[in-house]
Amino acid sequence: MQKHEKLSEGEELLAEVLEECLEEDLSFVPPEREISRKHRFSEDFEQAMERLQEEISDELRKKEIRRHFSPRYGQWAACILVFCACGWLLARVGGQIGGSGMEKSADMAEAPAEESAVEEAAAEDMDSGAGSSTAEEPENADMEERILETEESKETKEQEGKNYCEQMVYPAGDQEVPERLENLTTLVNCPVLDEDNPVLMLTIGNMGEEDVRYLDRCELEVWLEDAWYRIPSESEQEGEWHILEAGMAVDEEIDLSEYQIDYDASQYRLVTHTGQGPLSVEFTFAEVFEKTMEESESF
Amino acid sequence: MFLFLALLDSPEEQEKFTEVYEQYRHFMWYVANQKLQDEHLAEDAVQEAFLALTRHLDQIEDVHSPRTKKFLATVVRSKAVDILRRLKPEEELNEQLSKTQAEEDVLEQFLTRENYNHLVSCILELDDRYRVVFEYKYIYHMGDAQIGDILGISAKNVNIRYFRARKKLQKMIQKEADRFAKA
Repeated sequence: MQKHEKLSEGEELLAEVLEECLEEDLSFVPPEREISRKHRFSEDFEQAMERLQEEISDELRKKEIRRHFSPRYGQWAACILVFCACGWLLARVGGQIGGSGMEKSADMAEAPAEESAVEEAAAEDMDSGAGSSTAEEPENADMEERILETEESKETKEQEGKNYCEQMVYPAGDQEVPERLENLTTLVNCPVLDEDNPVLMLTIGNMGEEDVRYLDRCELEVWLEDAWYRIPSESEQEGEWHILEAGMAVDEEIDLSEYQIDYDASQYRLVTHTGQGPLSVEFTFAEVFEKTMEESESF
Repeated sequence: MFLFLALLDSPEEQEKFTEVYEQYRHFMWYVANQKLQDEHLAEDAVQEAFLALTRHLDQIEDVHSPRTKKFLATVVRSKAVDILRRLKPEEELNEQLSKTQAEEDVLEQFLTRENYNHLVSCILELDDRYRVVFEYKYIYHMGDAQIGDILGISAKNVNIRYFRARKKLQKMIQKEADRFAKA
């Protein structure tokens, strides 16, 4: 209620009289229940009022989504700090590798000379056998491909299956999952999580004008050295697909106690699947975050 | 049509709006029907009153207070007046109030305790078109722009209507006082 200008004595009297007259008028109005017994609102009226209330609900929902996904300074600040800390760590690790890499580079300098010698020999072979070896070329190419494939598969097998928290974890199929699609976005209620409260709220917002499908079960992944690894859930529940209406948002509760996780790992992400593709959102734990901050400050 | 909804800002306000609707819609219809003497037109007045209310819900603090009931009665009565005006179009209120007319405003002299009873009878007789402007201004302490927004007229026309109301009331009290003096 707004504050009003000071009324003159006469105007105050007028206000008093107006109020008294209004009270007198209203004293003749029967109670609501009695009127409702005598009068039934027309269907047109009921429908119009229903429409109005629906419009209000829709408008508020849209406002809520806009508010929910609007950049919050605190979150932005936390994200920037996390990125700075990660950048500093990477720079430091890179520097260490660079130091040991100097020794390696000397070996590497010799390697091209060897390689070029091999290449020259191969060229000589090609020259000497020109014409006669054309039929054998595809076979050789196939062989090389097969060898490369087996070597690659060996490498991936070695990459796969890291031991993490007394369980085997494997690299996620999609390593690069966007945080936002054209009309879809995800958000966690708290990007820096407390260990004592392992429940996260993941919000998926559909800001487009068309309905979108989404899977109500998302995957938890952890960043280990070089890639994202999927952490298996102790719950055996399978997700179900639902429809997320245009302009709506949905909250999914993620209980991290369903997973065996290492609270010291630097970064986690939740990957959710939608009709438009997968979406991810990253988070970390408070202790790790604080440590990273301390390190970056001391640096 | 529903751009005004941008002003209803939170689920709490929506809840308040729904509560007002549930609790007072029949009361509001009754008040409008007293004025319009037409059930359907009274429903239209209630509907328009609720539309206006989405923009002025801040005027309602406690849904169950007598003040809220009075405010809703004023809003729906002003909507009923508006419907009547649309049915029987009178002269538009966009003409300027002349300086002389403004100077003749001596209502303040008549607003005394001695004239209290005259004042009551005059207000009860005063045209609702003017009375609601007084109510918005003196009971709910609303500004010309806010009143204009509810009445669907400009702030300038609210001001004109307000001065006309003052003049009308002044004449009525004067007449009433003269009648009383003669008797």
